[in-house]
Amino acid sequence: MNVVEFKEVIKTYTSGDHVLNALDGINLALEEGKFIVILGPSGAGKSTLLNMLGGLDSPTSGTITVNGKDISKLSSDELAEYRAETVGFVFQFYNLIPTLTVYENVALINEIAKNPIPADKMLDEVGLLSHKNNFPSELSGGEQQRVSIARALAKNPKIILCDEPTGALDSGTGVMVLKLLLDMAKNYNKTIVIVTHNQNIAKMADVVIRVKNGKILSCEEQKEPAAIDEIEW
Amino acid sequence: MLAKKLFRTILKYKAQFLSMIIMIAIGIGVFVGFNMEWYTLEQNTNAFLSETGFADYRIISKTGFSESDLNAVLSIDGIKAATRYFSVNASVKNSDDIVALTVNSDTRVSGVLSVSGENYDAKSEDGVWLSDRYAAQNGIKTGDLLELIYNGTTLTGTVKGLVKSGEYMICLPDANQVMPDYNTYGFAYISPAMFKNTIGAEFYTQINAISDLDKNDFVEAVDKALGTTYVVLSKDETISWSESRGEIEEGQVMGSVLPVLFLLIAVLTMITTMHRIIAAEKTQIGTLKALGFKNRKIVRHYTSFALTIGVIGSCLGIGIGYLLGWYIMNPNGAMGTYIDIPDWSLKTPFMCWIILLGVIALLTLIGFLSVKSIIKGSAAETLRPYAPKKFKNLFIEKTKLWNRLCFGARWNLRDSLRHKSRTLMTLFGIIGCTVLCVGALGMQDTLDAFVKVFYYDAINYEARINLETVGVTTDEAIAVSERYGKDWGATLGVQIGDKTVQLEIYHLENDSVKFVNETLNFTDLKDDGAYICSRIAEEFNVKPGGEISFKPYGTNAEYTVKVNGILRSMVENIVITDEFAESLGIEYQINTVYTNEKDVEKVFPISNVQNKSDVIKSFDTFLSLMRTMVALLIVAAVILGIVVLYNLGVMSYTERYREMATLKVVGFKNKQIGRILIGQNLWLTLIGIIFGIPAGVGVLQYLLTALAKEYEMVLSLGFKTFAVSILLTFGVSLLVGLMVSNKNKKIDMVEALKGQE
Repeated sequence: MNVVEFKEVIKTYTSGDHVLNALDGINLALEEGKFIVILGPSGAGKSTLLNMLGGLDSPTSGTITVNGKDISKLSSDELAEYRAETVGFVFQFYNLIPTLTVYENVALINEIAKNPIPADKMLDEVGLLSHKNNFPSELSGGEQQRVSIARALAKNPKIILCDEPTGALDSGTGVMVLKLLLDMAKNYNKTIVIVTHNQNIAKMADVVIRVKNGKILSCEEQKEPAAIDEIEW
Repeated sequence: MLAKKLFRTILKYKAQFLSMIIMIAIGIGVFVGFNMEWYTLEQNTNAFLSETGFADYRIISKTGFSESDLNAVLSIDGIKAATRYFSVNASVKNSDDIVALTVNSDTRVSGVLSVSGENYDAKSEDGVWLSDRYAAQNGIKTGDLLELIYNGTTLTGTVKGLVKSGEYMICLPDANQVMPDYNTYGFAYISPAMFKNTIGAEFYTQINAISDLDKNDFVEAVDKALGTTYVVLSKDETISWSESRGEIEEGQVMGSVLPVLFLLIAVLTMITTMHRIIAAEKTQIGTLKALGFKNRKIVRHYTSFALTIGVIGSCLGIGIGYLLGWYIMNPNGAMGTYIDIPDWSLKTPFMCWIILLGVIALLTLIGFLSVKSIIKGSAAETLRPYAPKKFKNLFIEKTKLWNRLCFGARWNLRDSLRHKSRTLMTLFGIIGCTVLCVGALGMQDTLDAFVKVFYYDAINYEARINLETVGVTTDEAIAVSERYGKDWGATLGVQIGDKTVQLEIYHLENDSVKFVNETLNFTDLKDDGAYICSRIAEEFNVKPGGEISFKPYGTNAEYTVKVNGILRSMVENIVITDEFAESLGIEYQINTVYTNEKDVEKVFPISNVQNKSDVIKSFDTFLSLMRTMVALLIVAAVILGIVVLYNLGVMSYTERYREMATLKVVGFKNKQIGRILIGQNLWLTLIGIIFGIPAGVGVLQYLLTALAKEYEMVLSLGFKTFAVSILLTFGVSLLVGLMVSNKNKKIDMVEALKGQE
């Protein structure tokens, strides 16, 4: 079953006389429970794609259907609800709230999500329960990213969206974080979409989508994705 | 190129730049404006008084002075000039108006300033030089005939010129009137020649003198020169001098408390803002450094921000100051109805310019120091953004209460404690706003209570009948009082040490006049002692049960009396009953009868009649000056509150931008984030008000103490003042909160999350 469908999605940025088509007629269907990697060089439009899917931005034209619901023409409050219910984000730079403790950063979800998973449980699963009263600045990058994964999953969303989740980490930590992310997604049966320019991550994906100049170059399904330990990082 | 950058950076931080400029402009404007008021008054009245030869001393004799007396006075060392002078209230024929008829043998002293028509001519046999204000109010022009009745004799003259005089700068018929009323009262100078021709003789009751001698030396020298003791009044004892000095002092007090507070808040917020803007530019400064710009150039670039703001703000501030100054000090405003001077051009005290330069220098210095502290390391260090601060758990987090707080409250609490200077500045802004509101409205309350007690309650008669000063026997006066309700009063000048005050003697059968005690209640006069006003009580350190000694003018008799109580009073006075006066043996002449009858026939010995409503009206006009200042301060408080809070709100918004973007991404709605932001504002407002209200009451108390020389007011604050102050402050805070949280909609989640941590 398709959890996400893009139909003729165009996103245009205008600055002065200059018009840029960041997305140029995207058609795409993503299956539930899969691990999808979107690959492409800088400026290809992959982050824009992710932002559209995450409800951070609306397309200029075309429709985006998530879970059977068209999200392309929602108001800003409806989009906020969509983000609160349906998608979880993991960013390259973690984006934790510096003035909240680890626990509070995750528990913050309780204020908005309808069906959250208890923060303690999530923190236990990412192995940071013992750090629950620390502030983000007292954690390492990898630990901070684990908190952000806990936060993304605590909402109990349909889809986890990750923008270069290992981009700010050294390769060892990166692999660890990636492994955690994939394991958790599998345990909770979440669709996971990662945007990256790291070819290695693509090797592990169920589906690899290549993007260039706002268009989809290819969309291939990998019958036998590599296991994380088989890949040379 | 850097100039272009300067311009664009200003655009980028336009809210902060604009608010800094507004803050400095208003801070300086209010400061300059309020200080301009008293300084202009001081300068312009001094110039006018010296131009018209305002006398330093007045030697008074009921029997009159001869030319040889004048020469004897002139021969005293230290007396620069002197004149024989006579001033008496004369009626204008066919009207109820009164004109102070003035004859002066040498107009170099106590003279006039010509406004239009002919100059004063001492030899003119029919010339009248009339107050231009009185002439304007009554439609009198030069060339018109004026008939004045003095002591039954009619003096007929032609108005030759319209004049102003320092002696009548504040033109009041007597000390009980507070505001001039040129409709019914003015002054006129006539030549000695005309006076002599009409009356048949010279008659001067005063010698007015200009002298640098102090009062004791002057009195001693005069007594020696003239061979007898005379009553001598110094200029401090004249209405024109003492009231205008009072007005100046009042202006100095008003100008030195609230506007200073204002400027202080403006400068403090400005400093925080400037420092923060430069701190926010850290990576840009690093970039410029890495590109190879010399430190000096970068420092100059960023310092020029501060200088630009300082200069623009100050220029606008001077403009606002002039506007405010003009609003308070203009010939058509409240001050114009009070004081009659020819020159109303505004003047700025020198210290205002120093403070102005100081503010610009301080701002520039802050800019300079802020860049200096950023730039001092290597380019690489400067390029790196500020490392996130380490957090410690707050004490409150260990309590159970913490776990009950919602996320928003925790976020706000930590944010407030993390950005202490910002929080503190916000608190200052709110406290300032509350203090100004409470101070200004409380002033209004106090004045209203004062007016109510002194004018509506204490004046328990419909009209006061003033009797002629000359040629009235006690029997004639008593006859008038019998006819009009039996209550009468007598006033005479007495001296306590060097100080001249009024001794008021009352015979009251119907409570026509009530006496206000220190707690604004009324006191009944007893026949076994005196009541003194609180200014005298304070100056001579006399308490009820103590004693005070005074000497009526022109006598050597000294009376020492028991003080029964202390009164709040408009004029500095001692109050006794007629029975007590008789038991002491004080001689007096009844000069006022108080009545509840409205129709009083103006026949001898009645000189004129003042209605209660006239007295109240005159004081209302007088109060309107204070009301203007109160209104200005409230408007300023609201603007200050809005600007300070908005500026800090925007700063807080910028600093929490990334966090808010994250909240939005996670799924928080704009309204939810807005509520959290407004929540922080409202909590800070609550704390600010808790501190602000007592501070406001304190400032008001200080103001009243400082103004005590002028009025014996009692601090009174109405529930309304607190309610309005609180609501106004909360209103301002809420308004600003809404303005800032409205910006949430514009948070670009994508853009905000791109940057590096």
